[in-house]
Amino acid sequence: MSFQSEILMHQSRRAFLRASALGVGSAALTAMTPQSSAAAIEGLPHFAPKAKRVIFILLNGGPSQLDLFDYKPKLNEFYDKELPASIRMGQRLTTMTSGQARFPVAPSKFKFKQHGPSGMWISELLPNIAKVAGELAFVRTLNTEAINHDPAVTYLCSGNQIPGKPSLGSWLSYGLGTMNKDLPDFVVMTPSWTGRKEAQAIYNRLWSAGFLPSKHQGVALRSQGDPVLFLSNPDGVSAQTRRKMLDSLGELNQQYFKEMADPETQTRIAQYEMAFRMQTSVPELVDLSKEDKRTKDLYGPEVTKPGTFSASCLLARRLVERDVRFVQIVHRGWDQHGNIAGDLPNQCRDVDQACHALITDLKQRGLLKDTLVVWTGEFGRTVYSQGGLSKTNYGRDHHPRCWTMWMAGGGIKPGIVHGETDDFSYNIVKDPVHLHELNATILHCMGIDNNRFKVKFQGLDQRLTGVEDHAPVKQLLI
Amino acid sequence: MRLCILSLSVMVFGLSSPMIAAEPVDFTRSIQPLLSEHCYSCHGPDEKTRKADLRLDTQDGLRSVVVAGQPAKSELITRIKTTEASELMPPQKVNKPLNAQQIQLLQTWVEQGAQWNQHWSFVPPKKIASLPAGSNPIDHFIRERLKSEGLKPNPDAERARWLRRVTFDLTGLPPTPKDVSAFLSDKSDKAYETVVDRLLASPRFGEHMARFWLDYARYGDTHGLHLDNYREIWPFRDWVIRSFNQNKRFDQFLLEQLAGDLIPNATVDQKLGTGFLRCGITTSEGGSIEEECYVRNVVDIVDTVGTVMLGLTTGCARCHDHKYDPISQKDYYSLFAYFNSIEGSALDGNAARHAPILSVPSPEQEQKQAELNARLTAVNEKIAKAITQFELKDETTAASTAKSTKKTLVWIDDALPASGKALSDAGFNTKWQFVAETVHKPHAGKSSVQLIAQGLKQVVLTEVTPGLRVGEGDTLFAHVWIDPKNPPKEIMLQWYTTGWLHRAYWGENRIDWGKDRTAERRPKGSLPEAGKWVKLEVPTALVGIAPGSVINGLAFTQFDGTVYWDSAGIETSAPQGDRRFETLADWSQASAADTSVPKAIRDIIKLNADKRTDAQKKQLREHFIQYGYTVSRNVFEPLHQELTTITGALKKLEGEIPSSYIFKERASPRPAFILKRGEYDQRGPTVSRATPTALSPANTTAIKDRLALAQWLIDPNHPLTTRVAVNRFWQQVFGTGLVKTADDFGTQGERPSHPQLLDWLAVDFREKGWDVKDFMKSLVLSATYRQSSKLTPELLAKDPNNRLLARGPRYRLDAEMVRDQALFASGLLVETFGGPSVKPPQPAGLWEAVGYTSSNTARFLADREAEKIHRRSLYTFWKRTSPPPQMTALDAPSREACTVRRERTNTPLQALLLMNETQFMEAARNIAMRAMKEQPDQPIAHLFLLVLSRPATEREIEILTKAHGQYFEIYSNDPKSAQQLIANADPKIDAAQLAAMTMVANTILNLDEALTK
Repeated sequence: MSFQSEILMHQSRRAFLRASALGVGSAALTAMTPQSSAAAIEGLPHFAPKAKRVIFILLNGGPSQLDLFDYKPKLNEFYDKELPASIRMGQRLTTMTSGQARFPVAPSKFKFKQHGPSGMWISELLPNIAKVAGELAFVRTLNTEAINHDPAVTYLCSGNQIPGKPSLGSWLSYGLGTMNKDLPDFVVMTPSWTGRKEAQAIYNRLWSAGFLPSKHQGVALRSQGDPVLFLSNPDGVSAQTRRKMLDSLGELNQQYFKEMADPETQTRIAQYEMAFRMQTSVPELVDLSKEDKRTKDLYGPEVTKPGTFSASCLLARRLVERDVRFVQIVHRGWDQHGNIAGDLPNQCRDVDQACHALITDLKQRGLLKDTLVVWTGEFGRTVYSQGGLSKTNYGRDHHPRCWTMWMAGGGIKPGIVHGETDDFSYNIVKDPVHLHELNATILHCMGIDNNRFKVKFQGLDQRLTGVEDHAPVKQLLI
Repeated sequence: MRLCILSLSVMVFGLSSPMIAAEPVDFTRSIQPLLSEHCYSCHGPDEKTRKADLRLDTQDGLRSVVVAGQPAKSELITRIKTTEASELMPPQKVNKPLNAQQIQLLQTWVEQGAQWNQHWSFVPPKKIASLPAGSNPIDHFIRERLKSEGLKPNPDAERARWLRRVTFDLTGLPPTPKDVSAFLSDKSDKAYETVVDRLLASPRFGEHMARFWLDYARYGDTHGLHLDNYREIWPFRDWVIRSFNQNKRFDQFLLEQLAGDLIPNATVDQKLGTGFLRCGITTSEGGSIEEECYVRNVVDIVDTVGTVMLGLTTGCARCHDHKYDPISQKDYYSLFAYFNSIEGSALDGNAARHAPILSVPSPEQEQKQAELNARLTAVNEKIAKAITQFELKDETTAASTAKSTKKTLVWIDDALPASGKALSDAGFNTKWQFVAETVHKPHAGKSSVQLIAQGLKQVVLTEVTPGLRVGEGDTLFAHVWIDPKNPPKEIMLQWYTTGWLHRAYWGENRIDWGKDRTAERRPKGSLPEAGKWVKLEVPTALVGIAPGSVINGLAFTQFDGTVYWDSAGIETSAPQGDRRFETLADWSQASAADTSVPKAIRDIIKLNADKRTDAQKKQLREHFIQYGYTVSRNVFEPLHQELTTITGALKKLEGEIPSSYIFKERASPRPAFILKRGEYDQRGPTVSRATPTALSPANTTAIKDRLALAQWLIDPNHPLTTRVAVNRFWQQVFGTGLVKTADDFGTQGERPSHPQLLDWLAVDFREKGWDVKDFMKSLVLSATYRQSSKLTPELLAKDPNNRLLARGPRYRLDAEMVRDQALFASGLLVETFGGPSVKPPQPAGLWEAVGYTSSNTARFLADREAEKIHRRSLYTFWKRTSPPPQMTALDAPSREACTVRRERTNTPLQALLLMNETQFMEAARNIAMRAMKEQPDQPIAHLFLLVLSRPATEREIEILTKAHGQYFEIYSNDPKSAQQLIANADPKIDAAQLAAMTMVANTILNLDEALTK
């Protein structure tokens, strides 16, 4: 046992006793001894939740639903033919293709097979995800209004295209409070990718707390340097030295508290102690050496390489195991305007085995039943080719009108397919799901009525799901 | 969790003393907020959602359901009290039920006569109270309220604590030990005032005040969206600082930001202020629709102006009539119409200088520019004079119809051109390696150039004579073969004309030469496919090489990787070789198809001589004499050389002169439309410019442009502007505004805690000439501000958030103050004013983790010079998609949108930052050294004084001395750790001593008291 862990065994108790002796307010005590769900907003959850935690996998750039999930065999007859005007219906396009003289249909070059009880068609690029199709609920009709990356991904993560609103994870952290005393509620990872090198940007705002207190913002778990910013003591300062420093700091702060009697001083003392605990709990969290071989094999060889998608998935499991409320993995490189043949298989290879492993691992450990896993991009891609089209290669532009995503775990019906698109995966013909409804569904699984979950800011009742009411998608729920 | 979000907080506060039946119910304070919260969404200003055609936000509407004095006859009361579910208001499905206390309140209000008045903030403020002679208005109103709440004000804070508080509040920095002793020993009546005057005169005042304003203005150093490239707008930041330091009248300060460009004969400085309107986030994402972005940009301006100037949430009316405040959607787009006629594109082009911009030369630059321009005029005069010295017989030349043809000229194939010079040195420039077919199969000929790089490497060819003459529409080319096993990060082609001014690159934007996204550094997309020969082509126009130029040099440049280069040259329609002739006739024949000759001249040549006007003949003759005449060569070549030198220097200078974003009106205004649901492509009726009806005189359309809008805003009768402004100054100093919702003075915002005081301050501020320094002085000299901030359990229970001000303000310092304090106390702070933003160190990988790979802010490179990394935090480079972590951990906003209130959280991540971050440790080490040097006998006491500006108590010294002893023991036994901790410190100082003292400093810098004002 390290010196630091030894200290920790006595730490919280001592801090607690010291605080109690001084009779500080309940706020300070809460900060020191988190209960099962400390600092939740009154009245939440609205009803019994099915899921306690979420792992949100964001495939940033817009994975091609046509080459992965939305199987359209009829397209082969339309190869290189103009997309019928009756399908396009004059919908707006991005200015990357609105100038194109033609909109030639590009059938997927990849093979599809049916999987799982729902008979979901899945592309050969995702053989491992296909193996757990029985656990997943696919939605082929997710849709948005945003047509470019920045607004679309901001919309997906915060329910609004304009920056400044809290992200989903912040809403949950704020509303439901924390379930663990040594780690943040909301953790973000941004793993490496191997497909398109010139990847779309992401933004700190995707995990920002917007107008909610900044303690609800996502904390980046990094693969480079300190796993959490400024976690390590400076060179030359050991855990023992830090402990001594914190002891004298605490003593001086108590002196000051005696004089000023401001409970914020007690909260500060507690936060410094929490920081000290994190100096142990975080390295322990990211240390994968104690994971058994079977588990590591499940995630594949990349799992031992820090910063890969695979390593992030295993960390995600370790995080939810420790009751972190919301884990977000943002995998970049899914913006295939060209070279689908070259880049898309690489992107899929990055995520396929690890996603399978994550679902399997969660299930084996009994975590899947109350952990919700969400897998989606910010929009889909067009059936017509952007740039040159050949039988072996093509590109696709952004398509906000439909795309495919999947969810699994806590509260979600396993092994189903929801929604249908037309023969061109261009328009929705049955059961559209707007991204507000996706968010409503996620909140529902967490025991929250999205329409009642609001915060007043700048004179308005702000909600994750916007001004108008939205309902969760009943068909997806158990 | 300290953010008060309960929708009823307003009510709870308003009723903090128990209701007594006889007490009159105040409509503004108690009834209107209740109606707004529970009724307006269906019975408010929004016509579309209004039910039963009933409005409760107007006096007429209320009269229709209320009978004064008779609750039983008032439908309003019967409907909220009924037990009939179908009759009950608010209806259950609205989910905003009234509780018993609220129902009682409404009933009492009707019983008392249902007195009504307009929403408080829409009525111009008046000084309504006559003050007792000699009393300070702030203290008068605060104490009156305290008395009514049964509270007593705290006694004065100890003098040293007041000094620390006021020094932070006026300069953002702590006092020095010298300041402390000077103040403590000043026993005069004016001691406090002397301090305040000194602080207000310090240039640090402007820096501190500007820091708040930059949050409101959403100032950042990048565009904020998508690529999030660098944006050059820091002169606006400096303008804000200067304005506060000059104590510019605040009405003028607002006016210049809204309409400085429209002031008759506007100065550079006045125009600079309009940067405020341009600080918003912009994009140039591929695929963006211009109209959509244009609407988004203008919406951001309207919302910012609404929040900062009016204190209203105008944004709510973007999609529909405001549900709570009398701002219709038409009002919104009428405001929009003032700001929608900006010149230039809505898309930023990912350029640092997104027009309209204004160049802001320093006096030295201005002088240099004038000198160069004078020299330019002189040379041009010399040329003009020289032309007259050559006489030509009026040669009649026939029209030529020769057509230009393109030829491919390969410059570099198996060897360098004979006349050129290859540069090679120990740095970037490496030797040309032509390798034979046996090493690598060339694209053409017998060999190709092999370049293997780690980091930046290049092969350079210069001084080729004669160079390549460039014609119109020419294309430069080179061939590359990229090794798939060792690909570069970036490859670049560079050409030399009058300088190395022309570059194009493929792959990541790693090579930091030339101005990004200009002809000096053009992105050409991703790296070409590896493992095969690919032809790179660059139109001369793209890299700014004009027809008539001569290329004398070329470089192949790469970052990392193995690349083979081959066959480089030009496809040109300009004939090469000497182009001077004995006669105009010969030259004309040879030049008709020479696209390096200006098109205007070629057009004359193509005319029959008798069709040429005299002016055209003269033009042709003079061009020939200058550029085509063998006889005049010796006269003009040196003159042209001089001309090139001067224009080159001018261009270089122009690139160096900073510029800033400004607002500039189009010649004719763009029409504005009501946009249905706020969607850019759902245009409704057109609207003209007008101020919101509810806030305006009858003839609102007379307010024709932004200047008139600004004047309307600062009009003495405007109900909001001064209230909103003084409230934010109050918030700056007391932590919370008199109106807590500093961003919302509408009906959904919180009522002022001291309405009469707010109004008094607002009127007084205007009457005294919008004098900010004077206003700040009155705040910090008040007895209210001077109070001790000590709490008692009673006070904590009664007024946890210190809204009543029975104690002095006490809360955590803002991010910038925390960092600046550490740098200041350690003596590291470099206090230079303004200039481009700086990059102190931050942990590696933060920008990389989120940035678009080809953004010019995708990779963070810290500055190294102390004069940059140790500057005040307001000069730190603000990348909006990844702001500095030292700031955001302590609640600084991302600056993506206007923020007028920062949160103040208390988190473990802050503790980690303050204990471990490099610069905080560096500061600890330096304070330790400073203390040991300045007070070798009592270093700990001195250290304490340096940070906390007060002498330590015996007990504090005791605790720290004991800890120091323990650290000293640890570091004496572990010299290696001691050395690590004191990295690069003075070798004369004992390492264990310094390491131990560094830990003491680290402790003091982390004290609650150090982080609090």
